[in-house]
Amino acid sequence: MKVLATYSIKGGVGKTTAAVNLAQQAASQGARVLVWDLDPQGAATFFFRVKPKLKGGTQRLVSGKGELAAHVRATDLPGLHLVPADFSLRHLDLHLDGRSRPTERLASLLDAVAGTYDVAVLDCPPSISLASESVFEATDELLVPVIPTTLSSRTLGQLSGFLAARPGPVVVPGILPYLSMVDRRKRLHRDLVDSLRAEWPDMLATVIPAASVIERMGPERAPVATFAASSPAARAFAELWAEVAARLWG
Amino acid sequence: MFLHPELGVEPVVAALAQQGFVAGPALSLRRTLLDTFDGRLHGAGLRLELREASSPPQALVLAGAGPASAPVAVTRPPRFGADLPQGPLRARLAPVLEVRALLPVVSVTARRRVALRRDRLGKVVATATVYDQVAVDQPGPAAAGAGPRWVVEVDELAGYAKAAQQARVVLGSLGLDTRETDLLALAAEAAGVDLRGRTSSPTIMLDHGEPALDAFRRVLANLADEIDANRDGAAGHVDAEFLHDLRVAVRRTRSVLAQSKRVVPPEVRDRFRDGFGWLGAATGPARDLDVYVMEWDSYVAPLGAEVTGALAPLVDHLADRRRREHDALAMLLGSARYHDLMDAWHLWLRDPVDSDAAGAEASTPIARVATRRIAAANDRLVTRGRGIGPGTPAEELHELRKDAKKLRYLLECFGALAPQGERKAFVQRLKSLQDNLGEHQDTEVHAAQLRAMSHELHDSGRAGAETLVAMGQLAGEFERRRTKARAEFAERFAVYDTAKTRGALDALLAAASRPARASTSTSR
Repeated sequence: MKVLATYSIKGGVGKTTAAVNLAQQAASQGARVLVWDLDPQGAATFFFRVKPKLKGGTQRLVSGKGELAAHVRATDLPGLHLVPADFSLRHLDLHLDGRSRPTERLASLLDAVAGTYDVAVLDCPPSISLASESVFEATDELLVPVIPTTLSSRTLGQLSGFLAARPGPVVVPGILPYLSMVDRRKRLHRDLVDSLRAEWPDMLATVIPAASVIERMGPERAPVATFAASSPAARAFAELWAEVAARLWG
Repeated sequence: MFLHPELGVEPVVAALAQQGFVAGPALSLRRTLLDTFDGRLHGAGLRLELREASSPPQALVLAGAGPASAPVAVTRPPRFGADLPQGPLRARLAPVLEVRALLPVVSVTARRRVALRRDRLGKVVATATVYDQVAVDQPGPAAAGAGPRWVVEVDELAGYAKAAQQARVVLGSLGLDTRETDLLALAAEAAGVDLRGRTSSPTIMLDHGEPALDAFRRVLANLADEIDANRDGAAGHVDAEFLHDLRVAVRRTRSVLAQSKRVVPPEVRDRFRDGFGWLGAATGPARDLDVYVMEWDSYVAPLGAEVTGALAPLVDHLADRRRREHDALAMLLGSARYHDLMDAWHLWLRDPVDSDAAGAEASTPIARVATRRIAAANDRLVTRGRGIGPGTPAEELHELRKDAKKLRYLLECFGALAPQGERKAFVQRLKSLQDNLGEHQDTEVHAAQLRAMSHELHDSGRAGAETLVAMGQLAGEFERRRTKARAEFAERFAVYDTAKTRGALDALLAAASRPARASTSTSR
């Protein structure tokens, strides 16, 4: 099982829409996909119409008795399952902190379902915390949305530096940055895209547009491709998934 | 799954509607189960299905552990793992399929309606799939028209068990038959198709006291079935394993016949050893080229991209020769000579043998005959091996390889007389020696073939100097491997020629002589 996480220190950059749409794309290509909504806001859970509730709450899940499989919910999309969010995830750091090897807990929960899924997509809350470190330990690749602002490069640099500086023999996940929420009608965005690409040559080629069809995911409560399959946004997520899949299975 | 031989499906659909299920449109669908000849996907707990409908015209669905995949559109059904698109489907299937081709196992056409029950958020909590106008397309031994007219499958969605359970209770209350299976498995059952595919083993159950002639004939009949089973696939070049398995069965047949002195009538033994000798030799070139093509990447891996690129004319030449050899093979396996051989062979295996014509040991218990032959085969192998030194001609190693194969075939064909543990302990030691001898001979043969092909390509003007030089480098690589195998031989043989090996063989022979501990290994 390959583990991806949509992650950014910064909020409101398109993490959840990427997680939901990339998971849908992966499933449509025949992958068995598990989305794990780690964000207490539960936006990914909302998009899949699933009740944001973990039986026993976060504490039980991260305790030694917790099993991810017990919390899995089928979505309406074939091949795609979800571990829903729960408001108690706001205390995830606290619950992890009470364990002996806190940063290994998410990885061990995922290991138990590794034979059941091809891909796990972790939708993470914006922060750098103990929970984030647990995500880094569990993840093969971090998908990092980068929005066209002057501060984005700095945020990406902070993440990159943080991962490089982690002490001990830890496995560092790969970073797959991609441009998100880009409005090509704006000259500033076009200029920033060029400068960000120049500064980060490993940036994925696909650009996710700022599009009203992505905002429609809210009322539709579904990934873009299920209600606007031929839209530029749906095509962009398909292309982004193709790039990611090439890294995973190329 | 729910079905009923007499009731119609509409009351069932109505009952589901009362439970809040909303049925979608009825669409015609053809579902075909794909698997290899030997049922590898089934054995691995996987189910690959080709769905043919109006949109998308063709799609694959893979089920196994975890959720079933979404339908993945394909332009044509995949034949091999490499035909699948790069990604998770291929990653799951290709390691299981290896070189085997995907074949249709059973097909069913039906009209399909999917009924969904949703909760107040609009989330699907239960799915019922109604199939009617069901027709199994590929009737096997079962009567045509067998199978249900309609079925209803209720899928339990992860995390929503209660809704599915409620639907099952309602359908159960209608007096429907309940089956713990699904439509494709039911169709296979109706068509008389075994989802396990054909798996075979040369090792059949033997009775220690069974007269040797009867046991030899049963072992040989099992091998004849294996030849028959693989004939069509080999002739049609469906995948390389058909020819491989056919040839192995032929070699085992020859070897068992060679060991049948004083059991099988001599004229029968001589006639069919010749016949299967012809078949083995005639099917060899196609197999050699199969191996060449399949192993190509590993052959050229040490040579680097530039040299490999220069070998392109050789690759074309190999592909061309392989095509021609397989055309010739198809002719051979359809020829009167082949059919005459197999018909006569089946006739002898089936009909009673005149007791006057049978050999002196025909009535001796098989355990006594087989253990003596196994011990003698090992003695021959050890004696020849001890005579091989650094200066011994390569031909002597090739003869030793034959000795080892004969011993291995005896163990495989009559091994059921001993428990599996004893067999395994000895065969592991023998296999290590066989691997070394195989590498030595195969690399020598490949180098010789390469020299011959280099003349062919040169004479026909299809290879320039660059290609011929690259072929020389490839031949040199084979020669390097051969030399290495030869250098390792003494050590491998020394490991084999030990008291420990002899002890393992003695344990095997002792166990094979004791009827009380007979193994029950069987073939299907």
